Amino acid sequence: MLKYSFIRDWCQDVLDMGVRELKLIFKDGGVLLIFFVAGLIYPLLYNVVYLNGLLEDTPVAVVDKAACPESRRFAREVDATREVEVAYRCTDMLEARQLLEERKVNGIFYFPDDFGQKLARMETATVSVYCDMSSFLYYKNALMAANHVMLSELSQIQKERYAAAGFTGQEASALVQAVPYEENNPYNATFSYSIFLLAAILFVIIQQTMFYGMTLLAGTMREQKKSFATLMENPYTHGIMRTVLGRGWAYWLIYMGIGIYISFIVPAIFGMPLRGQFFDILLLILLYVTDCVYFCMTWSTFINKRETVFVLFLFLSPICLFLTGSSWPYSAFPGFWKLFSYIFPSTFGAQAYINMSSAGGDLTAAQTQLTGLFIQTVFYFVTACVAVFLENRHLKASAQQ
Amino acid sequence: MNFWKNIRAVALREIKVHKKRPVYFLGSVGVITFSAVFFLTFFGDGLPHDLPIGIVDNDNSSMSRQFARQLDATQLGKTVKFDTFAQARLAMQRGEITSFCVIPKGMYADVSASRQPVFTYYLNGMYFLGGSLAYKDILTMINLTNGAVQRKVLRAKGVNEDQIMGRIKPIQVDTHQIGNPYTSYNYYISNMMLPAILEMIVIILLIYALGSELKYGTSRHLLRTGGGSIVTALGGKLLVYTALFSAIGMSLVFLLYDWVHFPIAGSVWNMFPAIILLVLASEAVAIFIIGCLPVPRLALSIGALYSVLGISFAGFTLPIEAMHPAIQGLAQAFPLRHYFIIYTHEVILGTGPAAWWPEAIHLLLFQFLPLAVMIRLKKAYIYQNYPKE
Repeated sequence: MLKYSFIRDWCQDVLDMGVRELKLIFKDGGVLLIFFVAGLIYPLLYNVVYLNGLLEDTPVAVVDKAACPESRRFAREVDATREVEVAYRCTDMLEARQLLEERKVNGIFYFPDDFGQKLARMETATVSVYCDMSSFLYYKNALMAANHVMLSELSQIQKERYAAAGFTGQEASALVQAVPYEENNPYNATFSYSIFLLAAILFVIIQQTMFYGMTLLAGTMREQKKSFATLMENPYTHGIMRTVLGRGWAYWLIYMGIGIYISFIVPAIFGMPLRGQFFDILLLILLYVTDCVYFCMTWSTFINKRETVFVLFLFLSPICLFLTGSSWPYSAFPGFWKLFSYIFPSTFGAQAYINMSSAGGDLTAAQTQLTGLFIQTVFYFVTACVAVFLENRHLKASAQQ
Repeated sequence: MNFWKNIRAVALREIKVHKKRPVYFLGSVGVITFSAVFFLTFFGDGLPHDLPIGIVDNDNSSMSRQFARQLDATQLGKTVKFDTFAQARLAMQRGEITSFCVIPKGMYADVSASRQPVFTYYLNGMYFLGGSLAYKDILTMINLTNGAVQRKVLRAKGVNEDQIMGRIKPIQVDTHQIGNPYTSYNYYISNMMLPAILEMIVIILLIYALGSELKYGTSRHLLRTGGGSIVTALGGKLLVYTALFSAIGMSLVFLLYDWVHFPIAGSVWNMFPAIILLVLASEAVAIFIIGCLPVPRLALSIGALYSVLGISFAGFTLPIEAMHPAIQGLAQAFPLRHYFIIYTHEVILGTGPAAWWPEAIHLLLFQFLPLAVMIRLKKAYIYQNYPKE
């Protein structure tokens, strides 16, 4: 009977602890602002900012010194690409440069005066492309437009030249394109900026808002000389597990809601690809949110003033985004930063989400990341317990003094 | 004379606070040091190399193996062999490779017989940089392979080497990257991310410094030290912070353009006023936020949202013109945007102040923001009638 009542009390304590935490959360305007305004509005805001995600018709200037049919055709075809628009035609480089400096164009296409002559002599003609590197997207656009047109012109000119040399029809075509190729970019067909970035941003938002909110609350408690670690003493145990689990489920409850909103509803609103299985993603969120809860609980131990978390840790938000590996490839991370990235749940969470939701993989596609999240969860749960234990001991020691 | 004395008293008081509370030092110098080390080492390579690229070789001929070897030999790529398409696809979904090529069965035989076998490649555009670099690498290699076949045929026909080159490659594109000749991601990201972090530090730390007077109820003491004037009280405080942040800003400029030798087309000297203007404008924004909302935790949360959003609105990742027209104008409300334009002119294009002075005026216009909330802040400091927690 004693056993039964112990279990009952234990569960009751966990429940009470969580309810108390929920009350604290809902009484605190700052935490509510972060959890609900930031957690709910921020994903929408980022989607609006990166809504199109595509830079089209980057203005360029064309300096056509050759003024031959080939160079004019090349310029026309460049103008026709999705990436680039010929905004100005200049008589010389000086004028084009002026436009670049006034930021009216983001690139220059220059045809030297021997362009047509070289083509007529069956030599290699050069077209020079100057790109504004202030944003890599300008560079990418100018380069892609130039290369696509160059490749299409190439086969056109080659066919003419082979025809002149006596190769025609299938024979010439087999020479020009000995190995035709086919491109597939199934997950992000247009290399859209929004699709790749938002998946990572959304998961970083879950982790960071929870972290700021929870530490804000922990800081407040410590400022008021109240600590979570003082509670839950009873004759049988210290109550560490109950404190950690009890506080945990309060955040877990709120963030399962926010997590589901962020990973299913937000992408659906903005028409982002959702290729994963519902229950696979749900499992991921379950694991990720649990991991985040104990991650935040562990690290909030070091915050003893309410507002210092922003002063000290706000800059980690953009860093966490880079650490997800969605821009700079994970395989190129320097060793130390790879290890450093294991600290954050967002590293595994965002990758798993990209693999499953955007690339449409099943659980095997995110096996590594899910394992990582699981190990992290266990680790941070233990550290959260240890933190409560140490703080409790510290508090008792200072109380006795 | 009293004015300067009061300012001095407030400044000395602030320095005393800094000595007592290490959070100010950690939150400014500590954060920027960590960030500088992070960005400069994280992107230290400039461009990633040895990106894993999958190969499913269904042909296994000398030609297909040579293709794999040559792709492996490029600086960008490193080939990983897969037996089946399914394995390669799973690896790509896992993010282990960002792209893979499928070499069709009998490719060599088909090429020799002019049957034009189709070579297929798959990219994972979810990993933006990795995906697009691998794309570039594969495209280059496949075009070189095409060229090699042509050259072989033309040589067999007895065409001389010069003519062969003219036939294989009638047009070549010669690219010049203005401001970043090595296409270095480090130059691209660190050049803007470090000032972005600085903006973040300025806004957050100043809101914190002004807010903590309210929080700890020391605001009246501050006003008294300042001789009862909000101008001297703010002036003294700002003197300390402006000195601190400007020093950090100038060290950043020195670090980027002198110590680690990022290319700069214009003059380093022009970047010093630029970053100081950024600091001043960010300070104005911070005062405005805490003045409008004299509740430290709310002001800090708003400041955090604002400064993180500022990174997106600077327009160095996705350019502003690609955003929705309705929100393009919003970018003007972020000092970092104006700094970005100055940076583009000075560092990338080297046009000097003649081109960027309107942006400097924009940044100076931010200075009107504190004037709007000065009286409100003073009242809050006197009456302390806003919730502290």
